[in-house]
Formats: sequence, C-alpha cells, structure tokens
Amino acid sequence: MEKALINRINENGYKKLAMKVFVFVIIIASFDFTIGRVLNYFYFTQGSGTQYRTTYSLEKSTAEILVFGSSRANHHYVSEIFEKRSNLTCYNAGRDGNSIFYHYAILKGVLKRYSPKIVILDFSTHEFVKNQDSYDRISSLLPYYRKHPEIRSIVELRGPFEKFKMISNIYPFNSSILSIAIHNNAEYNNTQREDIKGYMPLTKIWNEPIKTDSNFVQYELDSVKVKAYDSFINGCINSRVKLYIVCSPSFIKYTYKEYSVTIGQEIAERNNIKFYDFSNDSNFINNSSLFQDVGHLNNEGATLFSNRLIDKISETEKNIELVH
Amino acid sequence: MLFNSIQFAIFFVIVTFIYFTINHRYRWFLLLASSCYFYMVFVPVYILILGFTIIVDYFAGIYLEETEGKKRKVFLVASLIANIGVLAVFKYYNFLNGNLSVFLNDIGFQNPIPFLSIILPIGLSFHTFQAMAYTIEVYRGHQKAERHFGIYALYVMFYPQLVAGPIERPQNLIHQFYEKHIFEYSRIIEGLQLMLWGLFKKIVIADRLAIYVNAIYNNSEHHNGMTLLVATIFFAFQIYCDFSGYSDIAIGAAKVMGFKLMINFNRPYFSSSISEFWKRWHISLSSWFKDYFYISLGGNRVSVPRWYFNLFFVFLISGLWHGANWTFIIWGALNGFYLVFAIITQGLRDKFDVLTGLDRFPRINHTIQILTTFCLACFAWIFFRANNVTDAFNIIEKIFSFSGSIYWMDPYSIAYSFFGIVFLIIVDSKKEYYRGSFSFFNNKNWIVRNLSYAMLIILIVLVGVLDGGQFIYFQF
Repeated sequence: MEKALINRINENGYKKLAMKVFVFVIIIASFDFTIGRVLNYFYFTQGSGTQYRTTYSLEKSTAEILVFGSSRANHHYVSEIFEKRSNLTCYNAGRDGNSIFYHYAILKGVLKRYSPKIVILDFSTHEFVKNQDSYDRISSLLPYYRKHPEIRSIVELRGPFEKFKMISNIYPFNSSILSIAIHNNAEYNNTQREDIKGYMPLTKIWNEPIKTDSNFVQYELDSVKVKAYDSFINGCINSRVKLYIVCSPSFIKYTYKEYSVTIGQEIAERNNIKFYDFSNDSNFINNSSLFQDVGHLNNEGATLFSNRLIDKISETEKNIELVH
Repeated sequence: MLFNSIQFAIFFVIVTFIYFTINHRYRWFLLLASSCYFYMVFVPVYILILGFTIIVDYFAGIYLEETEGKKRKVFLVASLIANIGVLAVFKYYNFLNGNLSVFLNDIGFQNPIPFLSIILPIGLSFHTFQAMAYTIEVYRGHQKAERHFGIYALYVMFYPQLVAGPIERPQNLIHQFYEKHIFEYSRIIEGLQLMLWGLFKKIVIADRLAIYVNAIYNNSEHHNGMTLLVATIFFAFQIYCDFSGYSDIAIGAAKVMGFKLMINFNRPYFSSSISEFWKRWHISLSSWFKDYFYISLGGNRVSVPRWYFNLFFVFLISGLWHGANWTFIIWGALNGFYLVFAIITQGLRDKFDVLTGLDRFPRINHTIQILTTFCLACFAWIFFRANNVTDAFNIIEKIFSFSGSIYWMDPYSIAYSFFGIVFLIIVDSKKEYYRGSFSFFNNKNWIVRNLSYAMLIILIVLVGVLDGGQFIYFQF
C-alpha cells in the first residue's frame, strides 16, 4: 500500500515539484545570503547620508546634547550653536519623516552605550495621530534589527510577520542599494556632505502669507505612539538624562492648542519634564523670511530658534555655562 | 486580502494544499468557503450584498430556462434591475445626488434628498458584471441555468478573480468547477511563474511609480508642465502594471488549481491604434461591453451616424463603470471620441501616409502609430488619474506650456522607477517581437530558468515597494 502511494505521488508530480521547490529555495537562499551580506557590509561603511546619520546616532555618537525628532528636528536645531553656547558637544539625530517610534528606538540604542547630559525631543503637531505611514517608516531601523535586540520590539510594530521577514538578509536593505552605492564613494562624501553634526540647513525663503488653522479636531489618538512617547520620557528619567520637549515653530497660526500638543504637554508635566511650545511664538509666525516652507525653518530661522531655545534651557539648567 | 500580502501567500498555500488533498467532489465547497473568507477579510458585512445578487441571479437563471415567451424577458429585466440597482445604490447614488444638489443650488433650491454614508464594496462592478453575463447568456440560450447553488455562487465568488476580474463568462468558467483537476507539475509551475511576474509588476514597478505619481497628482497646482508630463507617463505604466499585475496573479493562482481564466491584457502599449488598444487592454471588460451592450445597441449594423453614436455611448458608459466621477466619464467619452475620429479620418490618414511616403516604410510608420496611440492613451489617463475635472484641465494646460524642469523628489525612487519601466519594456518587447528567440524565463535549461526566476524574487525584495498599497482597480 505504501509503495502504491509512493508511486501515485511520483506519477502526479508531487515529488518532482517538491524537489524543484527545494532546489529553488536553495538558490534563493544562496542569493539572499550573499547579496545580503555584501549589502550589510557596505551599509555600515557609508560615510554620509541619512542612513549614515542613523548609524552614527545609534552606534557612535558620544555627544553630551542629543536632539531627536523628525525633519523639523533635523532642520531646526543648529548643533554648532548649542556647542558654542553651552560648551557641551551636540549631535542632531533627527531624521526626515520619522515619528516617536524611531526617536525612541534610537534613544534606547544610545542609552545602552552611554547617558547624554541633555536630550531635546522635537514634538510635532499631530504627533499622536493614527497614521500607517509612521509604522511603514520604521523600516529605516531594519538594518539594525539583528545587531540591536533593544529595538526589536519597536521594529516588530510594523506587522505580525516582521520577525519572519527578517529571516531574509536582503529585506533589511530594501530600496537602499543606490543610496549604499553612492554614500560609499569617498569623493561624494567629502564634497556632497549635507549635514553639520547632524543639522541640515535649509536655504530657501518662504514668500506666502501665513495660514490660520482654527479647525480644532479631537481625533482618535494612536495609543501605541502615546505609549512610546511615555517610554521615551521614562527612559530619560531612569538614566538621569535631562529631557526637554520642544514644539518648534511652524508658519501656521493655530487659534487653538493642537490636540497632540495638549496631550504631549500634559504627559510631560506629569513627569516634571519641561515642555516648550514655540508653535505660536510671535517672533517666528510674523516673519515668513525665517521659513523655507510652512513646516520648516530655514538656516536663519533655525539659528534664531536655536539661540532662543538655549536661552530658555539655561533658565532651568544650572550646569550650563552660557557663552553669549 | 491583498494579493501582494503575506496573508495571501499563506492563504493561497493552505487552500491549494487542501484543494489537491481532498476528494474532487468536495472541492467546490472548499473554494466557495475560502472565497467567502477572502472577501470577508475586506468588509465582512458586504458579503450580504454579494449574497443578495447571487440568490436573485440563481433563481432568475432557473426561471429564464423554465419559462417561455414574454415572461423570460420579464425575468431577465428583473434580474438586471436587481444587479444594476445594487450598483446604483452603492456606487452612483451619492454621485447623482451630489450633482442634483449642485443643480438645485444653482437654481436657488436646496436638495432635500439625504446622502448615504456607505463605503463602496470592493470589486462590486466586477462581480455584478460577471453575474449579469450569466443571466444574459442563459436568456440567449448559450448557457444552461446552473442548478447547483454552490457552484453558481462559486462562479460569482471564485476568489482569484472576485474583486478585480478578469470578468469571466459562464460558458468558460462554470463547467470547470465540475471537472477534475489533477496535480500537474508543468501547469502548476506555469501558474506560479505567472503569479511571480504579476507580483513583480505590482511591487517593483506599479507601487514604485505610484510614489511619484501620487506626490505630483495630489499637489498638481504646485508642479510645472514637465513634471506633470513625467508623472502622466509614469501613471500610464503604473496603471498597466498594477492592473495587469493583478490579472496575472489571478490567472496564475487559478491555473495552479487547474482553472483557465481569460487573458485580460496583451501588451496594450504596443497597439498601433486606439481600436487595437481596446482589444489588448482590460479585454474581459471590453469584450463584455461588446457582447452585451454594443451589440444590443445594434453594433455596426445600423446607419453610420448611429454606429458612431453606439461606439461613443459604449465608451461613455464604460467610463462611468470605472467610477462615479466626471473624470471617469470624460475619460470614457474621450476614448469613444478617439475611436469615432479614427474611423472618420481613416481615408485621410491613408492619403497622408502616401503623400509623405510613410507607407513605403512600414516599420517607421508602425512605430509612429504606436507612439501616437501611447500619447493619446496618456492624454486620456490624465482624466482617469486627476482628483477632479478642474485639476485635469489645469494639468493639461501646464503640460502644453512645456515649461519648467523635472522635479526630482527622491532621486533614488525615480532611478528605481526608470529601472522598472525599462525592465518592463524589454520583457514586453521580447514577448511582442522576438517570441522565439533566447529567453531567460522560458529557457530550456532549468538552471538558467531557475536563476532567472530567483533573480526576479531577489529584485522584488531588493527594490520592490514592500509597504505598497492596494490595487487601483479594487475601487471599481
């Protein structure tokens, strides 16, 4: 009977299919392993660019002041001004398009190595809004998943199959091959470098009149984001890092307190963390020449803002010796 | 459940495995149950709408077969009204009501009719048309009424083509549910290869192009003519890869289980006329309109003006089928206009070819015709993709100003987009013009063949958009 069954299987092509699938899987696995290892090597040898800055923030930075946040952090906090005015080293670890998930993951990686003296978290309006894009953007942490067990729980927020996808060696470097190739070019890194200690200046000037937002919406909060924000604060408190949460200027006049900002401020104050809200600061919203677009300050605006922020921080931070 | 998701991969493997394990007699039940699950993953309650049309058309089919004379027409009309009624309520009610509101406002009245707060059931137009094909074919006597309720329900709900076609005909599909499909190695491999190519088109090309197209078309007022032109060309490839990718996966998945679905795309951008384009693009819909609507209107066996009207009107309705928006209606009308204009000017164009000597260079002439057809299709796609008619006209105005330089947004993404388009053109050109020559994917040497397909998978993981969204045609 067993022989008859085996014959039937052979006749129908089950065995043939199983064999071919097996061989095919071996070929795929070999390609995946080889290409993945090569990509992994060159990913971590990049000398500039966004991915390099993430690697530097997570694995190499030793700055005493670290700035976290999205593109608004990246373009608003001039590291050199913080260094000059405080006599502390500073690195801007902000990354375009990312949310509290990314900031918290980087913080976890940093705190595993050392404790900075000051952490500044740039808080965006609508920070806690439910948005699939925030989860998709966690992909920027995929290359660090294997090396950094502390960030795995955040990466796995992407979906239930993330753990299994990470079996692939290529998957973490999806859509990165061109960036890896370009940022391994020494000449490019020397001549085209975009950042100054993580800070990326913007140069254009916004010429449109200011928009007024008077449409208050109490949208559904993303509880996972709120929890990550809470964990970010607790991470700093537990490591005795002085944390400042800052809502930096934008060229929109809010006639109300934005819902995420209200919640973010409440949580910060509950934990005795300073929350500075510059979103309606008249020095900025009355001057479009300080902006590149409605959401981002240009270099002139960032310089003014960085100076104003350090003035404000120095009011509470007795250890900082201000240099004027 | 999206074809480009891990959930579908797991679902497909489990269903296919059980399918070949169980007795042939119970397979219809497995496929029906899995199709119900597949559909209910989107919005579970909408299965009731499907259930309604299935019940109506099942009994309509039986009554159509059992009755004679005028009563048959009554049953057919009742069935068509039920199907079109569902479409009207869920797809067109708010659109018509919105237009009525605008009209009443213009003449100083308020519209008293309320709007409905409903989401369009996924693939409604597809399975409604498939159900209508059944009753019409039974009425015409080309198809016997299906007595097995489960098999009929499966005909409407067969999961590979449930939400975005191909829109099957009962003569092609129903009998296949009765046939015993054995586990056949070569067929399964062909099906899997087709699924893989479909996935490649969707993930590597369509979803990559969508990043640029969406960024530009959703903010068209901020972009110049050159950028909008590039975005429009990108959209032409995006929608082709998105929809033909879906069709390939659907046809491939069905093929693995032994079912043969009709071809839906045949490299449409190699068409040398709009008429040929519509014989190669969304073939199952074009032929549906031809078989059940155009011919019912009299086709071309009428006076010449009426023939032109028939052509134009069929395309106008085809536009409306795609979506309850004036952009789709204009898109359909434009294609109808192209066809009528092509017929009217055929003689003139032939004379022009002779006059310019182009008729002596058939290859150059053919290439010019292909490029012209592609440009006309792209022009129509502007209406299809634009968020509203005002946007569409603004985009056209900007494109024809030929101003500005291309907005590069994310240079890496654009580089991947170009790679995808070039790859597609090479593969499709090879299939179109060099069918018998050397082929990586159909090579006789299994090592070359396996390496080629392995590289396709590697490319999907390496440069595909793995967080990509749903298929464009799901909304229809």
